[in-house]
Formats: sequence, structure tokens, C-alpha cells
Amino acid sequence: MPADPPPRAPAITCTGLAKTFPGGREVLLPTDLALAGGRTTALVGPSGCGKSTLLRLIAGLERPSAGTVRIGGLTPAEMRRRAGLALAFQDPSLLPWRTVRGNIRLARRLARLPADPERIEDLIRLVGLEGFGDTRPAALSGGMRQRAAIARAMATDPQLLLLDEPFGAVDELTRRQLARDLPRLWEPRGTTTLLVTHSVVEAVLLADRVLVLSPRPARIVTDIAVPLPRPRDPAITATAAFHALTDRVSAALADGAARAHPPLAAQ
Amino acid sequence: MTGTATLPRSGSTGRATLLGLAALALAWEAGARLLSGSFVLAAPSEITAWIATHPGLLARALGTTLANATAGFLAGNLAAIALAAAALLWPGGRRLVTGFALLVFCLPLVATGPILRVLLGPGDGPEIVLAALAVYYTTLVPLLVGLNAAPAAWFDLVRSYGRGRLAELTAIRARASLPYLFAGLQIAAPAALLGAMVGEFTGAERGMGVLTIRYMRALDVPAIWALATAAAAVSILAYAAIGRLARALLHESPPVILAPPPDTRATRGTLPALLHALAVLTLALLLWWGAMAAFGLNPFFAKRPGDVLAALVWAPDAAETRATLATALGETARAVLPGYLAGLGLGAALAVLLTLAPVLSAVAMPLAVTLRSVPIVTTAPLIVLLLGRGAAGAIALVAVMVFFPTLVACLYGLRQAPGQILDVFESYAAGPLPRLLHVRLPAMLPAFFAAARMSVPAAILAVTVVEWLATGRGLGSLMALSASLSDYDMLWSAVALVALLSVLCHAAVAALERRVLSVYAAEQVPA
Repeated sequence: MPADPPPRAPAITCTGLAKTFPGGREVLLPTDLALAGGRTTALVGPSGCGKSTLLRLIAGLERPSAGTVRIGGLTPAEMRRRAGLALAFQDPSLLPWRTVRGNIRLARRLARLPADPERIEDLIRLVGLEGFGDTRPAALSGGMRQRAAIARAMATDPQLLLLDEPFGAVDELTRRQLARDLPRLWEPRGTTTLLVTHSVVEAVLLADRVLVLSPRPARIVTDIAVPLPRPRDPAITATAAFHALTDRVSAALADGAARAHPPLAAQ
Repeated sequence: MTGTATLPRSGSTGRATLLGLAALALAWEAGARLLSGSFVLAAPSEITAWIATHPGLLARALGTTLANATAGFLAGNLAAIALAAAALLWPGGRRLVTGFALLVFCLPLVATGPILRVLLGPGDGPEIVLAALAVYYTTLVPLLVGLNAAPAAWFDLVRSYGRGRLAELTAIRARASLPYLFAGLQIAAPAALLGAMVGEFTGAERGMGVLTIRYMRALDVPAIWALATAAAAVSILAYAAIGRLARALLHESPPVILAPPPDTRATRGTLPALLHALAVLTLALLLWWGAMAAFGLNPFFAKRPGDVLAALVWAPDAAETRATLATALGETARAVLPGYLAGLGLGAALAVLLTLAPVLSAVAMPLAVTLRSVPIVTTAPLIVLLLGRGAAGAIALVAVMVFFPTLVACLYGLRQAPGQILDVFESYAAGPLPRLLHVRLPAMLPAFFAAARMSVPAAILAVTVVEWLATGRGLGSLMALSASLSDYDMLWSAVALVALLSVLCHAAVAALERRVLSVYAAEQVPA
């Protein structure tokens, strides 16, 4: 058993957080960030801008060159030891030799939590993988693997959920389904969620707040609140309010990109 | 990225290797001084002294052996390229080509040597052929992998411009295969020296192998160690030079693993596998018979398939021949099985231990790669000196032969653990043991089995050489005796038996490999 339970719905505070990789490659300029607990924040930015690095810094998988991260007052390492955070990537990163159920069960074991077969069956059902508990990842479609990976991430009831392009590798239709179904897993629990994506629509659909990052080295150029009601149905993407928000995010992205790479001279 | 181990950069690798070698030399000198007078271990100082007092002798012997090894290296690698080309032109025959190549690779070099000596007459022919036989398979296998080591989309691209297989070959396959070809050439360098020296062990007039035998009889310990050291040094240099050439030409290092998991698509079921084995056997028998007939060789020493069958089945002394072979086989099995398993187990265990201590792993990998390039069989006399002429020496030689490739493969495999899965483990603050059990060990399995499979012929080569040279037991010794008594029926029967059993053992390991990897590396074995 972990020593203490993790703080519930923790807020995230980054102070002067910066990352420079060996060789002097600057990825993240010193950043101050305060994210409210229990809310979903999306990090949006062009490919390779350093948004995944920011996520990894918050998870404590990357050591910052400067600055600190606190999650509900704890360091990332303390949070991990209390089984308080979980990750899901674009690549589902399931163990190919374990079944769906085995992969989900393993997360609880690794987090030193008691096995909870009922909870695991619930999760399998909630992510729509009923009947596939004994299937190995190789026999699943991309979307199904992604569902399994999200179920694994939820298996430890994390207070902080870190999602790195979780729907990046699946087709558009599956992506919409996942964006509709999966937030229902973490929204009612008051999980603090941080989502990295390069999809403007996904960011606005899922998040309460969208942070737009500049091209590398990353800094936060715009902070946009998303005051849309919850729970959100994908039909919301057809509304004017939704479009106004996506336009603002897109404009901020284009603006950041234009400052980093001035347009080519007309030929 | 946390968790993903990358190879240290070349500067630190070089320093680590030098440090490791220096430590080894110091321990060696100390050990030798401790054991002085026991006729087993020569100190580095004694070896240097011997080389300094016999420069002409050593240079002439090394010159002869190197000339033969180089000729065999060229011939063997050209043969590998030709075979790969044949497999590419005729995709349906690829498995026939590789199966036949494996069978020929499994011919026991110690017996092939004397047979070639009577077939080819005086000269360096046998040494060159043995060197070629020792290298071609380890070039063919990675080359075939490399020729197909490109994403399907690249081939689609070539086709989308209306071009065919020739354009595929020149635009994609040839370049994609180069790193794999260099990996094969790297391993071929020590193997060629090994082949040439085994050729010399079995009755040449000049060269390093001849000198080694002479000094073994005289129990001149510093001389034996000096010769082995010189052979090892030349091998390491050749291995390093080819690696450097690869990096200069390709801007990348050759892959460490030569033999990927076997392709399961073509071998589904027992019947196709049996048919395939039968086809390979038929081809081998036809070529054997055809070669003997075409060159009109004297049937007294050039036995045909029918002669061997007669000697084993219906000749008046067939029962006696079979009994002799069975006894020898039993003796060989008692040396080769424990040695093979010990080499595999120790290699994997050390790799795991080193991975738990990453600092050591960074030093061990280059050192292990360096020691892998030592032609282990040429150190057989040393192991005989150290452990005597009994079973222990034979077991140890086989174990050492299997140990280094296994260690290198497992160190490499342990580093193939997917970084993101390790990240997931880290996000739960999982310790080193769960990571090892759930991620690193399964990730190591493909490389481990690749080593286990490629070590089968190597183990049999090692055991037959040491039996030939020293122990006076087993198939190696039986072949030595048959060669000196001109009992060619027995010699050819032993060769056929060893080759056949080697292929069967190889197939057994490959079957186990497929079974395990179908569970543990699903993405690597097509389901």
C-alpha cells in the first residue's frame, strides 16, 4: 500500500520551470503556471514545440533545468509514490504479452494497490471493451488499444491524469467516439487532467482551459478559458460558441508560428 | 528520455573499453604471477617477451594465416552475396537457400579440413575453404534481413513510378542492406581467422595453427599464449576497422544482432516444415553426389551419399560403425549440452546483472563486443592448459564460445525495452525488479533466442575442435582418428551425422523461439 493517499483534485503549480537538453537545446523557457485542481487543461502547440516535455516535467519523468513543480503541494516523485498520477500516450504502450485485463491489473500491482477485480471489470466495460478482457493487444484495433491504455491509466484512480496526444494515432471517427466517451471516466471523479494535443477541436471540446504554446523553445503565448457547459456532446462542435473558441485558439497558434517563422517572401 | 538506454557515444565507449582492457591486463599479470610454475597461464610480460624474441617466426606465421583468412573472407562473403542475390531473385526459394546454407555451415570444420586436404591436394586450399565456410553464413543471414529492412511504403513509392524489382534493389534494398552487410563482415573477420586456423590445426605445413599445435606438444606456455594473443589482437583490430569503415561510409554503426526471429509465415504447421527439410536434404544430397561425380574424385576418399548410407546401414561392419558413432556422440553430447546451456545462462545472467547496475553496463558492452571478436576456438589450447584434457575443458570452451555472443545480444536486448512502457512503470514509482520482470526480460527474449540459435553451430564447432586437439573423446576425436587412419567411411559418416544433428538442434531452438516469441514479442512474429 502507498504510504498516504494522494491529495484529491490537486492543483498544479510550476515556478520558473525550464528545460534545456544536453547540448544546449532549449525546449522550455522559464514558465510560471498555476492550474486549478479538478479541471481539464489542454496544452496546444505546433509539433515539436516542447508541450510533451512540459507534460513529462510535470510527471517528473524529466528533470527540470530550473524551477519546480508541485502537485497539490507534493513533488512529482512524492505524487508517484502515492499512486497519484497516471499517464497515457499516443502510443498505447501496452505490454504485448499481457491481455487487456492483465495490462490493467498490472497498473494496480505496480502502484502497490490491492487487486480490485470488480473495478477492473467496470473499467473494461466503461471503455467499451467488454468481451475483450482476455485478448492480447496485437488482436485489437488501434482505437481499442487506446481505450485499454486509458482504462489502465484510470485503474489506479489517479488524482492527476496526464494525456499525451492520447487520440493521436486513431482514425477520425474513433477519435470522436473516444473524445465523447472517455472524459466520462474522469470528469465525475474530479480528476485534474492535463491533455497535450495538436488538435484545436479536441482541446476546446475536452478542456476547461486551453494554453497555447509557441514553437520551440516553448513559452505560453495565450491562455483561453473554455466556459462551455458539461458534459459536452460532440454536437457542441457545430455551435457558434465553439467555433468562436476554436478560432481564437487557431489565431493564437498562427500568431505564435508567424513570429517564430516569418512568412516566405512572395515569388 | 528516461528509461531508454542509448549506446554511449563513441568517445566514452573507447575510454571505457581501454579502462576495461587495462583492468583485465592487470588482473591477468597478477594471476599469472600467482600461478607461475604451474604451466597454465603466461603473464602479459612473458607474452611480450616471447613476441620480442620471436618476431620473424610470428610474422611469417601470421602472414600465412592472414593471407589464407583474407582469401577465405573474400570468397565466403562473395558467396554470401551471391546466395542473397539468388534468394532475392527467386523469393520462393529463399528458405531453400537459407536451409542449405545452414546445413553447409553445420559441417564440422575439423573433419572438412582433412577431407579437403585429400580432395584438393597440397597447398593452402583447405585453409581458404574453411575460412570461407566459417564466414559466409553469418554474412548471409543479416544480409537477407537487410535486403528487406525497409518499410513497405518505400517499395510502393518505387512501384508508383512504374518501376520494378531492379529499381527496388538499386534504390532501396542495396542501401538498406549495407549496415547489415557490414555487421556480417565485422563478425566475419574473426570467423575467417578462426576458419583458417582450424584448417591449420588439421594438417597444414605453415601458419599460426601449425605453430600452436607444435608449442602445445612442447608445453611452451608463453608461446601458446603469445600466439593466441596475436590472433585475438588481429581479430579485434579487423573487427574494429570494419566497424570504423561502416561508420565512415554509412554514418551509422552496424546492428549488433545478426539473426532476427525466424519468419513464421512460411513454416506454419508440421507438414510444410517437414517438406522444406526434405527439399533441403534432397538438394544437399544431389549437390554432394553431383560434385563427386563431376570432378571424378577417387571413391576411396571421396565418399558419395550411397557410400555413407552403406557404411551405416548394410555394410558388414555397419553395426560396429553405428555403435562407435553412438558412443562418440554420447561423449560429445555430455560436453556440448552443459557447455551450451551454461554459456547461454551465464551470458543472460551477467547481462541482467549489468543492467541493474547501469554504470557497469556502459563499460561492459564495448568490452563484451570486443571479446566477442576474439576467435574463441583459437583459444582452445589455452583452455586445455587451464582446465586440462578432461571434460571440464571441453565444457568450458563451449560455454565461452556461447557466452560472449549471448552476453552482447542480451545486453542489446535489455536496452530494447520500450521507453514509454518504462515511463508508465515510472509513473507508478515501480522499482527496478518489476521493470526487469515485466519489461526488460521480455524485451530481451528475441535477442536471447537469436543468440541461442546462432550459437548451435558455434557450440558444435567448439566441441569438435577441442575434442580433436585435446580430449581424445567424442566425435571430434573420432574424426581425428578416422582421418589419420584413412577410415574415410567413418569420417564421412561422422561429418554427415554432425551436420544433420546440428541442423536438427538449430531447428529445435528455432521452434522453441517461435513458441516463446509468439507470446512475448507478438509484434515481432506475425500472428
